[in-house]
Amino acid sequence: MKKSLMAALAAATALGCLPAIAEDLITSDRVGPSDAPKKMVFRMTGDGPSSTDPTWAAGYAKLYTDFINNHPGWQLELQMMTGDISQEQARMLEQAKAGHAPDCAAVDSFVLPLFKEAGVLKSLSPYFTKEEIDQLFPFVRDGITGKDGQIYAWWWSTDLRVLYRNTEIVPNAPETWADAKAAALQSVEAGMEGILFNGSRYEGTTFDWLGNFWGQGGKLVDDAGKPVFADADNRDKFVKAVNYYRDLVESGAAPKRVTTIGNYDDLNAAALAGTSALFVGGNWQYRQLQNAMEPEEFAKWSFSMLPGITVDERSTGTGGWTVAAFSSEPEKVEMCAALAREIYMGPANALQEQLPTRADLYDKYDVFKSEANQTFAKALKVGQARPGVLIYPEISNQIQIMMGKVLTGAATTDAAVDDAFKATLDAYARL
Amino acid sequence: MSARAVRPKLSFLGVAGRHNRVPSPYPWLMPVILVMGLFYLYPVVDVFRYAFTDLTLLGGEGHYTLSTFANVLTRPELLQIVWVTFVFTAGSVVGQQLIGLAMALVVVRAEKRHLFGTTILRTTALIAWVVPGIAGGIIWKMLFNEAPFGGLNSLLRLMGMAPVQWLSDPDVVMWSVVLSNVWRGTAFSMVVMYAALKAIDPSLYEAAEVDGASARQKLFFVTLPQLRPAILVNMILITIQTLNTFDAIISLTGGGPGRATEVLSLYTFNVVFRNYDLAAGSVLSILMLVISLGLALVYASFLPKDEKA
Repeated sequence: MKKSLMAALAAATALGCLPAIAEDLITSDRVGPSDAPKKMVFRMTGDGPSSTDPTWAAGYAKLYTDFINNHPGWQLELQMMTGDISQEQARMLEQAKAGHAPDCAAVDSFVLPLFKEAGVLKSLSPYFTKEEIDQLFPFVRDGITGKDGQIYAWWWSTDLRVLYRNTEIVPNAPETWADAKAAALQSVEAGMEGILFNGSRYEGTTFDWLGNFWGQGGKLVDDAGKPVFADADNRDKFVKAVNYYRDLVESGAAPKRVTTIGNYDDLNAAALAGTSALFVGGNWQYRQLQNAMEPEEFAKWSFSMLPGITVDERSTGTGGWTVAAFSSEPEKVEMCAALAREIYMGPANALQEQLPTRADLYDKYDVFKSEANQTFAKALKVGQARPGVLIYPEISNQIQIMMGKVLTGAATTDAAVDDAFKATLDAYARL
Repeated sequence: MSARAVRPKLSFLGVAGRHNRVPSPYPWLMPVILVMGLFYLYPVVDVFRYAFTDLTLLGGEGHYTLSTFANVLTRPELLQIVWVTFVFTAGSVVGQQLIGLAMALVVVRAEKRHLFGTTILRTTALIAWVVPGIAGGIIWKMLFNEAPFGGLNSLLRLMGMAPVQWLSDPDVVMWSVVLSNVWRGTAFSMVVMYAALKAIDPSLYEAAEVDGASARQKLFFVTLPQLRPAILVNMILITIQTLNTFDAIISLTGGGPGRATEVLSLYTFNVVFRNYDLAAGSVLSILMLVISLGLALVYASFLPKDEKA
């Protein structure tokens, strides 16, 4: 009788456990058991289990599963951001100020200063060693450090802009603006669209182009954070860089439709369709092209540093993503730091081949020893991050408007640059 | 405290006296007043309050000032943005009204003749209406794509015609945006016009036929005068709706190239979410409210007196 009772109890227990065993640890909006007593809300980009790239999605699913298994009793509620990063980040800032931010979130490095200034982030210094922080590239370390010397986010990946080319049509890497124009015209003669780049109302329009201005030694803001991009010292460099793009469009080296491109996927689409042999894109697109193209087609593609007005005056924009904590509960802040450390600080870099922000990680992971990633790492040396100042989003907005006017021929370069500078100074005065 | 002393104080709650049979309306109105006040009036009051400050999304308490009004209303780009808004709104309202009316007339006529396909036509139009603005913008972006593999230009090439710079030509892009908005909003006008057409007294048409009126005369002397209130109400609704449209534009052009398609609502959105200027955004919201109310009053003044009452 006692044996039967025990057997019945065991069976009942086993049956009772079945739903828990069968429950997926990862769903579209949750990681971990749904009945876990502790929950952290993480607002994220596509760098996670919901990545549109199946390989990355599977890789992240494993990383997140391992992570949640290392932290029993926890579940993560995943909130996905849309592609409109500027809007998403502005909304999150407003939520944070009202006390309704997620516990932990991905914060774009270029808006991190706004979050730091608003005082809504929690210090992550207690959760990272001095050695780990010292390994960060200087521009990264400066970006995450507050006035009190504490770090307020973990900047885990960086990126840069390069010039992609189909070597079958453009065998040699263009090194100067004149080279780029000649190569683009050569591709037009081969039936292609010419050189493509972001040129619409989109942050990428500004950021991808800024390397042309920075390469000449131009400065967007002074040490106090005041816009100076069209003052006496910088105006000539700025106008030259704008006229470089203008000349590409007016000469037919770039199609006028660049003023409608506001998404890196549009550039990938043109490469995949075989309608473009030259485009300005991000380093992450190399892997995307590899995943999307047939191997023999991908073998034709290569990339090089962005051209400059001369060979020695070249630069590129570097950005990247951080993980930051908003929660007022220390336990959740610690969990957020653990998420940054265990998933993003290295493993995610290796998975997506997103360039790490720590010099030592380039040696730790084999993927970063590849020729392509070594070239990216070399180009990082002339990389420049967007200034961490409150006025930057408006500078970018005005450059996008200016670029649209100039590339469509709706305004002269001088007039458009003056308008953009005046509007930026007016906005700066109101901050 | 005696019952007599309590009764007058409770009368506003509808506690009727022995001889007072008319209950107070306040208890019944309070829930509506509370909901309207909380969810509609309070945000509006807040917008007016913010407009008289220098508040930003970046923090700080902000101070009360009139300078935000002066700063926003004297911005050099504002005039162009108001003009772009006018062209977009006028084009969209006229397009939606005309095509909606034409479709409603076709559907009603076809129903009378028991023709096949009227339900399909109505349903197809309504599908466009239920598509979210962002999705509509993305659909049209694919169609207007000027790459060699773009939707509409591929069709034009197949027909031996030159491709069009739908989104990159500042003179064309506004009409592309209007087209996409008309596509999306026409179904609403069609439904309003369809309902109004169905409500016209058939005896009016019978009398017109007895008088020997042609189809054109019936349209101009019976149908349109009978539809006048519906047309004006529809104009008010779609004008306000179009003035507030920004989701379809932000996904289609982002307001570009330059500021070629930056309407007032999108400009307001940019000022708040890209410049972080909450006070300036509030001033622009009030400007939009004034424009909407002004246009609504103009339309309403054309309403027949009895409909107004």
